[in-house]
Amino acid sequence: MPENKSESKQTTVQHMAYEPYTVAMGPQHPATHGVLKLDLELDGETILECKPTVGFLHRGVEKLAENISYAQCLPLTDRLDYIAAMANNVAYSVAVETLLGIEVPLRAKYIRTMVMEMARLTGHLLWLATHALDIGAMTVFLYCFRERENLLDMFEEICGARLTTSYTCIGGVRQDVTGHFLESLHAFTDEFPSRIAEYETLIDKNRIWLQRTQGVGVVSAEDAVSLGLTGPTLRGSGVDYDVRKHMPYDAYPYVEFEVPIGSKGDVYDRYRCRMEEMHQSNSIIRQCIEALPPGPIRAEDAPDLVMPYGPQKVVEADATFSSGIIKLVEDRKRFIKGDVYVAAEVPKGELGFYFVSDGRGVPYRMHIRSPSYIHIGALPFLCKGQMVADVIAIIGSVDVVLGECDR
Amino acid sequence: MKIQYDTKKSLVERIFLLEIVKGLGLTLRRLFSKSVTIQYPKERKELFPGFRGKHALIRDPKTGTARCVACMRCASVCPARCISIRFTTDEKTGGRKLESYEIDALRCIFCGYCEEVCPVNAVVLTEDYEYSDYEREPFHFDMEALLNNWDKFVEKNKIDPERYLNPFLRPRGLALGELPAGKRMDVPEEWTLEGQVVWKDGKAVSAREAAAE
Repeated sequence: MPENKSESKQTTVQHMAYEPYTVAMGPQHPATHGVLKLDLELDGETILECKPTVGFLHRGVEKLAENISYAQCLPLTDRLDYIAAMANNVAYSVAVETLLGIEVPLRAKYIRTMVMEMARLTGHLLWLATHALDIGAMTVFLYCFRERENLLDMFEEICGARLTTSYTCIGGVRQDVTGHFLESLHAFTDEFPSRIAEYETLIDKNRIWLQRTQGVGVVSAEDAVSLGLTGPTLRGSGVDYDVRKHMPYDAYPYVEFEVPIGSKGDVYDRYRCRMEEMHQSNSIIRQCIEALPPGPIRAEDAPDLVMPYGPQKVVEADATFSSGIIKLVEDRKRFIKGDVYVAAEVPKGELGFYFVSDGRGVPYRMHIRSPSYIHIGALPFLCKGQMVADVIAIIGSVDVVLGECDR
Repeated sequence: MKIQYDTKKSLVERIFLLEIVKGLGLTLRRLFSKSVTIQYPKERKELFPGFRGKHALIRDPKTGTARCVACMRCASVCPARCISIRFTTDEKTGGRKLESYEIDALRCIFCGYCEEVCPVNAVVLTEDYEYSDYEREPFHFDMEALLNNWDKFVEKNKIDPERYLNPFLRPRGLALGELPAGKRMDVPEEWTLEGQVVWKDGKAVSAREAAAE
């Protein structure tokens, strides 16, 4: 009997020692980039399972959009990915224009491409800043914000706001650019490659950085595709997919740029991809400035900001003026029935808008395919078997923003 | 384009922590360069015209009150529905008389749609961004408060109310025909459709000049 008792005691102790325990990381954790909650099941420091919980920042943008007109919904897209609001504006406008069949003038296309790449720079700069800060490199954070500040100043000049830009409108852009803006942006692009070199001096070959990033969060090309990853997170795994190249919109067919592709698919590869993308964005901005054509900035058939709910009666004069009659006709062509999915490449990945239109002035259903949501869905796969400290590096490398994820 | 994954280091780099020395050298250099920080309460950044800040109703110098004609365009375009307008209609002429104009600044999302659609340039988002309070009530602007906001803005920034220009009152790059009569103001040349800027020979020039050359 006594022997038995001691044996059973021993087994309980062993059992206790190996029982996995759960740690709730977030939703108030500084390194989860917002209000992401991760329930980590741990065996010592190794992660057995990672369960993300989202929805803390849900504001119901998709439902709101069903009750307001297409033009009124545009300021709401600022609040999706609030780090690069300009890119969301462009993506939304492109989707609505496809639905309504509006052709945008060439100048507006170039301006949009330019501001979208500026948004990509602001997004990638903030990504690099916070990613490096999470891993432990404080100086990069400060240097990145210095350049981001310059870009935000330029946003302020063209649209009057630094973050919630609402710059585009359906059928073009709301304001033309100024000479001062073009000159300061051109000067910025002259200087920016040397700034990227500065960040690279600080972390690119730093052995702490390499040890924290290389071989961490590896995802193969097949897995990346089946997880639905997009953007630099996918390209880091070596899949050549970029909406700008494969389904070009706005002025992307007219500019030359290359898509950086990684090979190993780890955190370091995704970091290198984004750094290379910043060089490409810089070159696209330069090309857009130099090729900016003169012309109108809004399409002729662009709807008014005060969009009607439902088919509008428009006044049409008799073209011959013989009868002197002014007719009221129903302008039905603007409110097409049908559905459309249009995607654009935002800093995080592929941001798609899916509209179901039933012919009224408001969407019957708007769905946002937000890259952050899908990237968070890939976290359990990426984190499995990694260390707790590597979770921070992985979250940083897939680049999520919770405003866009929870929308 | 394949990116480089090569992080092989030479023996010297591996032994002497060269990359760390280089990084420290960079921060040391930056220590002696000009600071980009603005010490906010002491110094203020100059804002660009058209910054979307505190709301105001422009006080018309001729009538001494707001220009609003109660067309309801701003109230119907507002995505946040923070503008409420009451008016009476004259039964004989059908003209509208403004009774009250209220903006709930705490609901406002500062998109600037109201000032863009206003046909008579009555409502404006001024370049004043410093207003805070401990209560909610001061942010519920009624017509008197909105006109006061304008007076304070004019006084503080020493601007000529007749010449006040804001890119949302007269959007840049639009043809004159696209604008209502109230928005056809005198603007700098680069704001007009004919004088819009293009890039030529390393500097921004107006399209008209570029075509002439």
